[in-house]
Amino acid sequence: MRIEKCYFCSGPVYPGHGVMFVRNDCKAFRFCRSKCHKNFKKKRNPRKTRWTKAFRKASGKELTVDNSLEFEKRRCIPVKYNRNLWDKTVEAMKRVEEIKQKRQARFIMNRLKKGKQLEKEEAINEVKKNIHLIKAPHAGKAKQMEDKMVQMLKEDIEMGDEDN
Amino acid sequence: MGKSKQTGNHKSDKKKNIAKTWKTKRRTKDLDQIHADMKPEVAAKLLHQEVDYDVTGCAQHYCLHCARYFVDMKSLKEHFKSKVHKKRLKQLREEPYTQAEAERAAGMGSYVPPKIVEVKTQTVEEDMD
Repeated sequence: MRIEKCYFCSGPVYPGHGVMFVRNDCKAFRFCRSKCHKNFKKKRNPRKTRWTKAFRKASGKELTVDNSLEFEKRRCIPVKYNRNLWDKTVEAMKRVEEIKQKRQARFIMNRLKKGKQLEKEEAINEVKKNIHLIKAPHAGKAKQMEDKMVQMLKEDIEMGDEDN
Repeated sequence: MGKSKQTGNHKSDKKKNIAKTWKTKRRTKDLDQIHADMKPEVAAKLLHQEVDYDVTGCAQHYCLHCARYFVDMKSLKEHFKSKVHKKRLKQLREEPYTQAEAERAAGMGSYVPPKIVEVKTQTVEEDMD
């Protein structure tokens, strides 16, 4: 007995759950629930359906290439029971899962950094574009002109003084 | 997700009962089956079928990519120009999805991006009577 993977969403299919569809060319498709089966009947592409694992992998939402993903495999060779081996395997599974979780988390945090940066840029752009709402475009201009005139006059007077 | 897949009027005859079109009885070929059909040996067999009076157009005018029979050459050529056909070619350009890919996505192995396959409309021999 083995826990199969759903054809559509890649979720686990436990014994006694889900549906198996056998096409007229003998190819078997397993589905974890009616949602996946219905979507298959509608000929939807799992790579383009947002909620499936296939989509998340294909569009770089999750960790895709990593050594920690290489442990779980479909192995068709039966292994004779050995208590020592069993214990070791269980220990290893826990450790691998731990490492995988850590790497997944790190990958996602790195992925989200990009969004933060874009958000900041967008905010700066928005302020630049709508600066007139914060500060009137001609605010303080009259005062500036006045200051300039005063300075000019002062300079003129000084020049006049030097001439005389 | 992109644009809506709906083309044309939603009251058209074919779409009156969508639940019926999803019945296993009316199941049409899947994309991976068509990919298998596109292999030269199989394709040659499908494009040169024997006269069968039970099939549309006596099975003489077959569109490989849409898995459809046509009444005559004219309608087949007309079909090649249609949106349905072009859309199908575009869908076929990507390697079909498999159970192996589903398992890889579930964490059994690393992700392998799908290959791009070049797909062209079948050539039609011109026989002028």
